Amino acid sequence: MTRVWSYRPQLLHLGLFFAAYVLGCGFAQALAIVPGTGISIWPPSGLFIATLILAPKQSWQWWVLVGCLGELFGNALWFHSPLPAAVLIYAGNALEAMVGAWLVNRVLGRSVRLETLQEVLVFVLLGAGVASVVSATVGSATLAGFGILSQTFSGAWPLWWIGDATGVLIVAPLALVVIQNWNGKAELSAARWIEACAVGLILLGVAALSLGGYLPFAYIIMPPLLWAAVRFEFKGAAVTLVLLALITAIFTISGASQFAGNAESQRHNQIMLQLFLAISAFSALVVAAISRQHQLALLTLRQSVEALRDRERELSQIVNMVPVHIRRLTPEGEPTFFNKRLVDFFGFDLQQLKRPGTSQLVTNIETLAHPDDAPSLLQAVRHAVATGEPYSMKYRMRRADGVYRWVDGRAEPLRDEGGKILQWYAISIDIDDEVRAQEALRDRERELSQLVDALPVHIWSWTPAGELAYVNKRSLEDLGISKANFEDTVRVAQKLVHPEDAPEVLRTSANSLKTGDAFMMRYRRRWKDGNYRWIEARAQPLRDHDGAIVQWYQVSIDIDDQVQAEEALKSSKRQLEQMIDAMPFNILSFTASGKMTYTSKRYLDDVGLPTADIKDFDALARDVAHPDDFPTMFQRASDGFATGQSFVNRFRRRNKQGVYRWIEARAQPLRDADGTIVQWYIASIDIEDEMRAQAALRERERFLWQLVETLPAMIDCAAPNGEPVYRSQQLREFLGYELEELDGKAKSRLNGTLDAGVHPDDVAGVKEQYAHCLATGEPYLRKHRLRRFDGEYIWVETRAAPMRKDDGTIVQWNMICLDIDGEVRMQEELRLAQERLARASQAASLAELSASIAHEVNQPLAAIVANSHACYRWLSAEPANVDRAKITTERVIRDANSAAEVVSRIRALFKQSVENRISLSLSGVIAEACNLVAGEALRRRIRIDIDVEGKLPPIAVDRIQIQQVLVNLMRNGMEAMEAVAGEKSLTVRARRVGSEVQTEIGDQGNGIEFPDQIFEPFFTTKENGMGMGLAICRSIVEAHGGRLWAEKNEPHGARFIFTLPIVGKAAP
Amino acid sequence: MEKTGPIVAIVDDDPRLLESLEELLESAGYTACCFRSAEHLLARDLSNLDLLITDIGMPGMNGFELRDIVKKARPELPVFLVTGRHEIADQGRVKGVDGFFRKPFDAPALLIAISEALQKSRNGG
Repeated sequence: MTRVWSYRPQLLHLGLFFAAYVLGCGFAQALAIVPGTGISIWPPSGLFIATLILAPKQSWQWWVLVGCLGELFGNALWFHSPLPAAVLIYAGNALEAMVGAWLVNRVLGRSVRLETLQEVLVFVLLGAGVASVVSATVGSATLAGFGILSQTFSGAWPLWWIGDATGVLIVAPLALVVIQNWNGKAELSAARWIEACAVGLILLGVAALSLGGYLPFAYIIMPPLLWAAVRFEFKGAAVTLVLLALITAIFTISGASQFAGNAESQRHNQIMLQLFLAISAFSALVVAAISRQHQLALLTLRQSVEALRDRERELSQIVNMVPVHIRRLTPEGEPTFFNKRLVDFFGFDLQQLKRPGTSQLVTNIETLAHPDDAPSLLQAVRHAVATGEPYSMKYRMRRADGVYRWVDGRAEPLRDEGGKILQWYAISIDIDDEVRAQEALRDRERELSQLVDALPVHIWSWTPAGELAYVNKRSLEDLGISKANFEDTVRVAQKLVHPEDAPEVLRTSANSLKTGDAFMMRYRRRWKDGNYRWIEARAQPLRDHDGAIVQWYQVSIDIDDQVQAEEALKSSKRQLEQMIDAMPFNILSFTASGKMTYTSKRYLDDVGLPTADIKDFDALARDVAHPDDFPTMFQRASDGFATGQSFVNRFRRRNKQGVYRWIEARAQPLRDADGTIVQWYIASIDIEDEMRAQAALRERERFLWQLVETLPAMIDCAAPNGEPVYRSQQLREFLGYELEELDGKAKSRLNGTLDAGVHPDDVAGVKEQYAHCLATGEPYLRKHRLRRFDGEYIWVETRAAPMRKDDGTIVQWNMICLDIDGEVRMQEELRLAQERLARASQAASLAELSASIAHEVNQPLAAIVANSHACYRWLSAEPANVDRAKITTERVIRDANSAAEVVSRIRALFKQSVENRISLSLSGVIAEACNLVAGEALRRRIRIDIDVEGKLPPIAVDRIQIQQVLVNLMRNGMEAMEAVAGEKSLTVRARRVGSEVQTEIGDQGNGIEFPDQIFEPFFTTKENGMGMGLAICRSIVEAHGGRLWAEKNEPHGARFIFTLPIVGKAAP
Repeated sequence: MEKTGPIVAIVDDDPRLLESLEELLESAGYTACCFRSAEHLLARDLSNLDLLITDIGMPGMNGFELRDIVKKARPELPVFLVTGRHEIADQGRVKGVDGFFRKPFDAPALLIAISEALQKSRNGG
């Protein structure tokens, strides 16, 4: 029971159903044309079926019950059938509705909307056709059984069936529409409303016209009916059918319709009416369904087209909007499409690139690809087109602004089912930023690599397991290892560590590897030259996100120099400390008021502790300072203390042993920020040795001074400008005046002394040279005559040299002036002697001498000849020119005397003068003669062998004449060897033979052809000789009491020998 | 107005010889111009000279050099060379030269040579 109640429909719905059912019954009664049957169109059957179709099956009992009540109520009002007959008829009707609803639902499923032809046909066939059979059979049987209205079964069944079917066809659609759209909204537009109204009016009008007349005209109603069905579909059909039924009913009731009429034709008309309504309903429903189906199909098509358009637009947008350059190529590679992005990139489209007569592909690539990439790109495209293989390449494309950008281009062919290429699709992606980023990355990496190699450090990396993974180049170079050695990395690394450092390094590094702590150590590493150098090695781990160690990086810096420097510094500091400790410094300090505050240990050691009553500077100074030094020292200290100025004192201080020693005490005030003296510090140094040294220096200076003053030389000092500043006593005495006496004159000291002292002939040269030396700094050396105090000029040699500072500037000129008068006079004599010798040597060549004599004589002779001939002519003239003849005769006399003088001069040259003879040793004369011919001997490549016996006794000779003899004989000998080849030597020998000195000059010439004649005057064997040389020589030797002869020399040549008597023996 | 004969220039550094030659030439009717050195001669006009007698050995320019210079200016001018140094006279370069005389020279021979040279020069001119 509960279940039944739970499916009870709403009471309102049940009420409405009851009302509609009763109304339907009334409508059927109104249309029942055939009297007594009450059967015409049966609208409740349509209502019932529609209700059950839509209602849940479980609620059907409720609808059957309410339908039963409605039918019984209608029966009571209009049909007045016996109750059993009415119940039976209703059972037939209910059964019909249930069968119809069940079948329709069964075939069509739950939602019956009658929108397709299939639905309509099923509904008409099952709902209207089959289900009505049940009702017609039950109803007709009941009528026949109860004999109501005297109906036969066969007479009533068709009417009943068609009435029910028509009711279903007309009412069920309306009921379905009403029930299903009960809450639906009206969706008709204004135009549709107008159309609906127009259809309604036309329908009414046509109905009024058609139904009033002949029956076949009733079908004129069909066009508006179908219009409504086409235009308004199912709803329109339902409403129109109901209207049609009502109009038909009205006309039928009023009797104006064709269906009204006499009883004979009523039965026929009844059938016609019902048939008309059934056909109308069927047609309208079918057309509505077809229209609906068509509309749906149209809608679907429109939606599909719309969807396709959307899709196409979307694709087009994708093609243009994806950040990729897309182009389409023909199977031959000619471009046919650029997407918008590509056109924007290039700045122009395909059409603009077209060039008549040229391949578009070539044009494009040449125009748009980078010149470096164009050939390879073209080749790649052509290769791809030829083989059908896709290509992929990176190249540069020119952007609209002219910038080339890297792109990654790829192309793939689109093939048909047969494998034939239809299109090429090519894309290019701008990878410029990536390429540049990669280049930058590579550059960066190379830079880093170079950096790592260039850094003056060793960079190693280790795996977390402690294996050497990388060693930079510098390490390899410095350490002399190669990468091949890395096989046993740990051992290699160990070998490079100094044996003393190795255990600690190993321990620490192992610890770091284990714990992951940073590694830092200084130790010695072996370089490839075998030397160990100090390094500072630091290693740190690189960790990943999880903190796990990825790699160890080690940097080793060569700190050898630094370590060495530190060592040196330490050593230096130690030395300094020792030095300071060892310094003989005494330190004292006093307050500003002079109160003693501190004494250094060394002071106490040296001087001793002051006595208890000594508490300030004054007392201390009085106690320890030497009484002689105290006043000065104390005064200076007092001044210093009073003014706050640092001061230095040198004085003798008594030490612990009671000995006074010189010290130097330096006092320095320490001031606070305000400048107030806080403390006085006095540092004292023992300068006893220094003072002694100074004393010694002074003594030395005094000694030197005395030395200078007493030296037997005249000393002069001058300022850098040459002005004399000092003269030694010797010089002052020589000159006879003091230096100061030169001052106050018009001349400078220098010019004053030069003008007054130097010989007038020498003064210009002296001044010039002196000025030159002063200007250049060159040392000065000159000999000149200097005026002595007594007015006599004495030869002196003056030497001066500059005394310079370290930087080279001249501080002073120091001069020494030596009396060389004796030497100069000796030299003068020497010079004269040399001149004499030179003259003698000129005369020594007797051949030349004779030529000169000839010339000297010829000159006056020529004059005499000319004059005497002129004289003769003057006298011979007519008349005789006696005056001119006299003059010429005087000239003849004069010239003749002149010639005589020449002769006597020559005679004098060879005069055998006894007074010129001096007693001398022959060895000196021989040496001089050899010197005279030495030059000639050298020129002739002749060696002169001198063999002179030592201690030759003196002989009295005319030195010059004997020299002439020697030179003449030596020259003869050398000339005799003129033609000799090979070694030539001239022998000069002198020895004592008895009471004579015998001298030999031997040559290696051709010897003497005429030994007897050679000494005769004018005999000569020489081309240019006059034959006088040997004759003169013999006469000289004989004049000296000696002899001169010639002998043959061995093995060849000649020997000239002369003797000279020894002084004592030969002297008278 | 005294008649002027041909002009003969004499160059010698010995004034005694200049005097004597001047005397000799004037006695023979020539006009003598005396010069103490070659430079003195070259300092004056050579165009009116008819003959030149020069010593060879002189300080400064010697007789050979003087002759060469004068011959350039006056190729036709007769030049006599005189020397007191006989070794010069023996040298090859004076051998075969006309008008070469050794001191002391033969005075008449000199005058004849001068006369002949002037004659020849006049004929040539």
